[in-house]
Amino acid sequence: MEYGSVVVLDGIDLTVAAAEIVAVTGVNGAGKSTLLSCLAGLRRPAAGTVSVLGGPPRDTAGFWRDVALVADQPTWYPGLTVRELLDLVRMTHEPVRGWCLPADRLIEVFGLAERADASPLSLSSGQRQRLSLAAALARPSRLLLLDEPEQSLDEGFRRELAALLREEYAGSGGTVIMATHDHDFAGAAGAREVRLADGGIVAEGSMTGQNP
Amino acid sequence: MTAQPAAIAGGDGTGVSVAAIRAFIGKRRRRSWLDWYAAGFAAVIAALYLADLLSSPLSRLSAAGHTPTQEAATQAVAGSGLVIAAAAGLLLLALALGPLALSPADASWLLLSPLDRRAVLRRAALTAAVLAAAAGALLGVLGLTMAGPYLAPRSASLSSSWLALAAVAGAGLFLAAVAAEALAQPTEHRRRLARGCAAGVAVVALAGAVLGERSTAVSHAITAGFAGLSTSAFTTAAVVALVLAAVAAILTWRLLARFPAAVLRTDSARAGRALTAAAFLNVPLLAWIAEDDHWRGRLLSSRHWPKLPTAMVLAWADWRRLGRRPATLAVLAVSTVAPALLGAATTGRARGFIIAAALLAGALAAGTQGTTATKRDLNDPGLHRMFGVDTGTALTARAVLPALLATAWLTVALIVLAALGVLPGWRWPLLGLAAGPALAAVALRMARTAPINPAEPGIDTPLGTYYPWMITRIISIVFGLIAIYPALRAVHAGHVHGATFIAQIVFSAVVLGGYLMVAGRQQV
Repeated sequence: MEYGSVVVLDGIDLTVAAAEIVAVTGVNGAGKSTLLSCLAGLRRPAAGTVSVLGGPPRDTAGFWRDVALVADQPTWYPGLTVRELLDLVRMTHEPVRGWCLPADRLIEVFGLAERADASPLSLSSGQRQRLSLAAALARPSRLLLLDEPEQSLDEGFRRELAALLREEYAGSGGTVIMATHDHDFAGAAGAREVRLADGGIVAEGSMTGQNP
Repeated sequence: MTAQPAAIAGGDGTGVSVAAIRAFIGKRRRRSWLDWYAAGFAAVIAALYLADLLSSPLSRLSAAGHTPTQEAATQAVAGSGLVIAAAAGLLLLALALGPLALSPADASWLLLSPLDRRAVLRRAALTAAVLAAAAGALLGVLGLTMAGPYLAPRSASLSSSWLALAAVAGAGLFLAAVAAEALAQPTEHRRRLARGCAAGVAVVALAGAVLGERSTAVSHAITAGFAGLSTSAFTTAAVVALVLAAVAAILTWRLLARFPAAVLRTDSARAGRALTAAAFLNVPLLAWIAEDDHWRGRLLSSRHWPKLPTAMVLAWADWRRLGRRPATLAVLAVSTVAPALLGAATTGRARGFIIAAALLAGALAAGTQGTTATKRDLNDPGLHRMFGVDTGTALTARAVLPALLATAWLTVALIVLAALGVLPGWRWPLLGLAAGPALAAVALRMARTAPINPAEPGIDTPLGTYYPWMITRIISIVFGLIAIYPALRAVHAGHVHGATFIAQIVFSAVVLGGYLMVAGRQQV
């Protein structure tokens, strides 16, 4: 993967199994987000092949039905409340087939009950991050790509999120690939670590024993 | 890299329509009567301004059939060039905004979804098409009015039918051009090509206008072309334009279904930021967007800081930035013909004012290109403090580049004005040399003024509410008027003499020296 003449990722060879959680780690600029962009098909590698869910990432309805991406901070509709936004996300993926959580459950699990009827614009940065993640689980998907999901989240909720991903999402057969700096969070999620450095994979291994 | 399919039911199926999604969002958009009032008021004000803007050019149509003068020929050529250049400028603006872009919220929630991409983009495409057609119709009519005195044959009903055909031709051509830009949008090198084409058209239009002004043969050829126009020629142009627009629109419509999400995400975010900044007159944010768009993804070769006096090293950042943006210098160089073209395209008492205003605005714009680092240090004086340079010395060092830029721009613009005969005599360029340095003080003052903050509360007075940022901007303009008052007065009067030079040199020395002395005592 190149940006102009700068090679960001080179010689990446990685296979992720279904229902597996993979934590891509590495220092800032190591290429974690770029790797996620390639998997989402938002960037095309200069060489090599990327296969997601059995085929190259294609910018099609079928692909986005199966793949959920939580990357940049989203922009919110000014008129929609937290609950309405989650309903909207679910609507955009109708007919809903497969594992996902209803809005009421998401609001409860993500600690947004008191703000369910508030505009996302009035939420704190941590609550907005919770809502972004909740929106990704309000719709069915087979692959969840998360770019630093731990951002702005408190310690306790990180553990709850890790458990949710491990037990419910991956437990239902979904695959998670996330870029993260938080080893404890990744360990709690039972993720396999893929460490990037100098454009390549320098280490791989289980993180389950770190701090569940 | 592979991920095996998980054992979860999935696959495509016919889901909810985009119209239903939009209805869901629309029903929950809580708009008060005040929102509607503000929108209606803005529309009325825009219509009034547009009518006022068009009344003068449209009055030229009444001159059709009258014997054209040499001045009318100059206006026709220069005016036509400016209309074409304006069209190219609008195309560049459209390209900077997309031209296809979703609202940032739509880009966040509707784009990376199974929804039909064409249906998601339909509203944005129709909006772009309507705006392009409206702008094109306006440009078509303006183009026709420039040829007013040369239109033939004449009859009482001529103007309205030709106006309609010119509007249709303009709308069709501009719509086709914007659709072509949308087709180029997904590919970076096609986008660069489209940008280059639009910039090339602008340069050729301006050069043609200047050439037509200077060369009698060219201006006669152009005005003879106007005189040869007939209803059938207009009809043909309108039909061709409509066919082009239809073809480009069909191709764009087909592209919508597979318009890449990655491009839309980036463009929608940028367009959203830019429109918000424009709506709130947030110039610093607009400048940041332009800078971010320019530098993002570029690789620069790092250089050592130069071995210069410390204050000059601090100022060197602006020299380096300008050196890395030769296109800015090229645009500044091309824009020096603008005052001459505006002067050639206008008559009467307004002419002197327009030339003077164009000179002041252009020279100030040139000067401010050398004050970016000064502006940055206002928000973050860390570098300034690290160098340990006192404010006065730093400001003096930083005045050199804006002074050179403003002086060079003003001098070249005056050379063009004199060479084209818009201003009689040969001594005008010397006035540019005398006046330019004063504008460095104005450019520095503008850079050191706090950014526009739309949220800032206004000051209520018996004459209305005034906002501090508005007052500081007005003061900057007045400061500029004072700084080069002798030069502007001479330009307005159309003649320059020895006393003007002396007066301008004194004004420049007092304004620049005084500003550096006073502002230099303040802490950054």
